[in-house]
Amino acid sequence: MKSNQSRRKLNLFLVLLVVWVLVFQFTTIKPAKASSQINLKILVYAKGAALLQPYIQQFEQIYPNIAVNIIEGPHASDAIEDLYTASFILGKTPYDLVYIDSTWVAKFAAAGWLLDLSDRVSSSDLDRFVKIEVEAGKYGGKLYRVPFLSGSAMLFYRQDLLEAAGYQPPKTFEDLITTAIAIQQQGLVDWGYAWQGKQYEGMAAMFVEVLAGYGGFWIDPETETVGLDRPEAIAAVEFLRRAIASGISPPGVTTYTEDESRRLFEAGKVLFLRNWSYVYNLAANSSVGGKFGIEPMVTISGEKGVSCAGGWGLAIAKTSAHPDAAWELIEFLTSDRTQRDYILNTGYQPSLKSVFSEPQVVAKYNYYPQLLAIADRSVLRPGISQYSQASDILQRYLSAAIANKMSPEIAMQKAAAETRRLLQN
Amino acid sequence: MTTNRQQTIGWLLIIPAMLVLGLVFIYPIARAFWLSLFTENLGTNLEPVFSGFANYTRMLGDGRFWQTLKNTSVFTVASVSIELVLGMAIALVLNQSFRGRGIVRTIAIIPWALPTAVMGLAWAWIFNDQYGVVNDILERLGLIDTGINWLGDPTLAMVALVIADVWKTTPFISIILLAGLQSIPEDIYEAHSIDGANAWQSFYQITLPLLMPQILIALLFRFAQSFGIFDLVQVMTGGGPAGATETVSIYIYSTVMRYLDFGYGAALVVVTFLLLISFVGITSFIFSKAK
Repeated sequence: MKSNQSRRKLNLFLVLLVVWVLVFQFTTIKPAKASSQINLKILVYAKGAALLQPYIQQFEQIYPNIAVNIIEGPHASDAIEDLYTASFILGKTPYDLVYIDSTWVAKFAAAGWLLDLSDRVSSSDLDRFVKIEVEAGKYGGKLYRVPFLSGSAMLFYRQDLLEAAGYQPPKTFEDLITTAIAIQQQGLVDWGYAWQGKQYEGMAAMFVEVLAGYGGFWIDPETETVGLDRPEAIAAVEFLRRAIASGISPPGVTTYTEDESRRLFEAGKVLFLRNWSYVYNLAANSSVGGKFGIEPMVTISGEKGVSCAGGWGLAIAKTSAHPDAAWELIEFLTSDRTQRDYILNTGYQPSLKSVFSEPQVVAKYNYYPQLLAIADRSVLRPGISQYSQASDILQRYLSAAIANKMSPEIAMQKAAAETRRLLQN
Repeated sequence: MTTNRQQTIGWLLIIPAMLVLGLVFIYPIARAFWLSLFTENLGTNLEPVFSGFANYTRMLGDGRFWQTLKNTSVFTVASVSIELVLGMAIALVLNQSFRGRGIVRTIAIIPWALPTAVMGLAWAWIFNDQYGVVNDILERLGLIDTGINWLGDPTLAMVALVIADVWKTTPFISIILLAGLQSIPEDIYEAHSIDGANAWQSFYQITLPLLMPQILIALLFRFAQSFGIFDLVQVMTGGGPAGATETVSIYIYSTVMRYLDFGYGAALVVVTFLLLISFVGITSFIFSKAK
């Protein structure tokens, strides 16, 4: 009898405990307080968030009923992508706006996470932007992203060394190799050419440019034709291998990202560097400041090469309760004035064409007109929803080829076959 | 009556623990298994479509899965066995009494206390071909003429990862073993040496057998951790070169987070889980038999 009683008491206690835990669980997560004040949330990497803050304050002064909450995220762009992805997968994303890289657009749009912005902009509005960055924001003929920053890559070269040895900046892949060998042999510099050969997204972006330089293509997004096993693509891989085999690229280039290759250039150890425009201002303040110039990437024919487009933009989450307010913010951030001020402050690459030639901007960054010419000759990475898989396939086989573990033909044939299988599914 | 009642109370007391275990352990795995029977990716507009064991048959023909499984196994076996030997040696040293032992013990555990991602970045620079400390030392010793491209070669990249992991987690093993060593009474050794045993004999006949439970715990912990290694690899090599260091965890992460292929990702999780559980089961069984 007594044992029964204590058992009941214990049972009661346990039930109460569970109930209490559950109640506690559900009451502490209260829904946000409703008010006439509109709250917009956007996740931006921490440094970018700090740089945006002054313009957000200007925006809030113009629209007193809108408060913008910038959540600071990690620096790596794939970490930001993960955070956005996780928030979308889990259902109600807290974010109204998405600070979005060009390669995520197709996936996010295909998953139904982004709001179609096509009706909110006229084509004349879009003409203000670097054309390729507008293209990067489209999926299935609809616009999902407005460009905020454009991103271009180019060939950095050491002007002083070229002049000392009596050479011109290279125009073709052949030029690049022979010039580098000659200047290395004169003992003017340790290495000829630094690029990004690590197995990661940056390698895919770098390869797109070499591929285009040889007249090849990766995946045609319209027809879904895969061009990786064509002779042009194999020639592109062979160029990269030759750069290592001929001794102009350090063997470790197969492990380099943007940063390692940039440091090599800034330390004055390399003649040519393929990298993004952000390197310009950094290198200008390094030991090679004032000693280098930029050119578009080289090609096989000698005409100007192309850059891989790598800009950032703004999109609106489909689940946002305040799409109109979010749109106001996008319009504000991509207005002429905001862009000019923001670029003057940060030295980033604008998405508005007019800002590249804005007198104040040119006075501060004299290479911007040249940068626009490079940005105007850009190609996109394939705008397909399975882009990350396609990129991983390319990276693995390209990495195998440049690490001499597979011949270029076999590597590219395998990559092409796997990519075709991916696109069929 | 009393034993009966005690038993009931005993059971009642562990119910909360069982509930927690069920929620955090059994439910996710059951759910992963359920999800693995569906195709849910961008092709199906992220809607689950029942597809039976299609994800598992797909896995059979997925070369990348098998490669990551091989990479993970090589990494796990190499790092755990080296760590066990080194950890044992360090534990034996730290168990001796000498001046400043407290400080040395604290210092010895530092690598384990540092965040892996940060140390992964540091190790990537240590193995850098141009600026790396490893190449610099080897060059100064006259062992090599030009820098070795550590992270650019599939085999060497794996070696570099194992070295970094050994550095990082050996302290963990030595701390567990040290705790075990301290529970062995000193008199047993004395009696043994009076019987005429030398140091090696007492190590094999006393230390090792009495330390078996701790060795087993250390082994299982490290095995499970190492089989799921993600951060170190992600930071140091990103799975490259040529996918030679990609581990199962990285592949699962890509499949779920980047490819949004949830059904297949779940199938990968289930298979990895079963492999891990069966290894743990077999190891525990062997150890219990050995006793």
